[in-house]
Amino acid sequence: MILAVAGGKGGVGKTTLAYNVAAALDAVVVDADLGMADLPGGRGPDLHDALAGAADPIETLRAGPVDIVPCGRTLAGARAADLRRLEAAVAAIERARGTVVLDCPAGRRADAGVPLAVADACLLVVSPRAFALADAIRTRELARELDAGLVGCAVNRVTEEPPTGAIADALGAPASVVPADPRVGRSVVEERPVVDTAPDSAAAAAVRELARRVPG
Amino acid sequence: MDFAWDVDREGDVSLVRCRVRNDDAVPRRVRIESRLDAPVLPPRRGGVAEEGWDEGGVTLRLAPGERRALGFAARAQPADPPVEVAEVTAVDPVERPGGSSPTDADDGAASATAAALQRLGDHRPPRDAVAGTADGMSKRGGTDDSDPQTGPNSPPDDGVESPGSSAAPASPSGEAEWFGAVDAQLEAVEARIDRAERLTDADVATATEVVAEVDGVEELSGLDERVAADATRLRALSERASALAARAEATDAPVEALERLA
Repeated sequence: MILAVAGGKGGVGKTTLAYNVAAALDAVVVDADLGMADLPGGRGPDLHDALAGAADPIETLRAGPVDIVPCGRTLAGARAADLRRLEAAVAAIERARGTVVLDCPAGRRADAGVPLAVADACLLVVSPRAFALADAIRTRELARELDAGLVGCAVNRVTEEPPTGAIADALGAPASVVPADPRVGRSVVEERPVVDTAPDSAAAAAVRELARRVPG
Repeated sequence: MDFAWDVDREGDVSLVRCRVRNDDAVPRRVRIESRLDAPVLPPRRGGVAEEGWDEGGVTLRLAPGERRALGFAARAQPADPPVEVAEVTAVDPVERPGGSSPTDADDGAASATAAALQRLGDHRPPRDAVAGTADGMSKRGGTDDSDPQTGPNSPPDDGVESPGSSAAPASPSGEAEWFGAVDAQLEAVEARIDRAERLTDADVATATEVVAEVDGVEELSGLDERVAADATRLRALSERASALAARAEATDAPVEALERLA
């Protein structure tokens, strides 16, 4: 099972949700944001190297509370990365580890589209602002064209009651509300997924609910 | 190109349906244009116009034998014919934004990837952005020569670049590039010092010549400070470089012996 976490707009919390949903699914999370990596890096080969044909995708796995395939942080690496290798690389990780969560970049360029093309399903992240929803709708169209079925959408960092009904209607998938919680915000940098650190929190419940929507 | 159409009137709107089939053995790009006297209202999903449509019509890419049904509306009287095939061009079946295909990529399985790559813009940061960084790597295309950072040992362009200094900071080609960049810097410093030397105790004729060379005396402003700064930096660099060279010469790592033992 390959799940893409996408959203069109930057800064809505795709990486944070990808990391935490991966924790709930006991999955590997791949930092597919080739130009602006967000997940913790580390020594050793990363996704840039795998996509440049310089490393075996399995070698890029980095163990942690959630296993991560980090992405390089150099522009040269982003240029050298060949997206045509992504499908085979992700498939190799899926064969070895089961479920894979792809943290997709913002935008509608090839680096955002190819992970959706590679994925079996996608999860859209929107912030409660209207302009984020517009980007999410465009990404939903892209996902539909590329055959990544939409399993749900996350309305992230909610501080007051959002129009979930309207968002679910616009995106055509059930919307889950992920309340603003500083533990979620810190979870990626500290590598402490919220389902582990605060399993009884509303945020952890929302993450588990999103994970339950993922088939297989 | 097999082409059929049909038009309906609904109030003051004309609804046009058409069917197009590529009966050639090669993929074709087809441009179908409306002849109605109003902008095309393309099919939309969730308010977003479908790919390929614009005000005048639609551009499609059809595989050999592929058939496609289309429809649009326009606020105009029906015309006869309402649509026409404006252009048919051959499409290179392997045309991809990424250039040549990597040897180990699975072409058959990557069709969804290929479709995404074909439809979407190139994601890669512009070459100039990469060349501006310290770890600027090899380039694509035929314009490589213009780049001062491309060392003689840069890998050949095959559409797939080497992983860069992030993965192998001490790789021979990275090092060659680093030394190339240092050489380029030293040449710039040398040009400044040349100029300063010629101006030192210069007669009027030489000074005039130098000023003319650099397009006016404003260009020389700050030259003395910059050359003084160059001197300080070069002195420090030279001391460090010669110390490193001495240490390098003094080492004698028994690598061969270690390899024999391993």
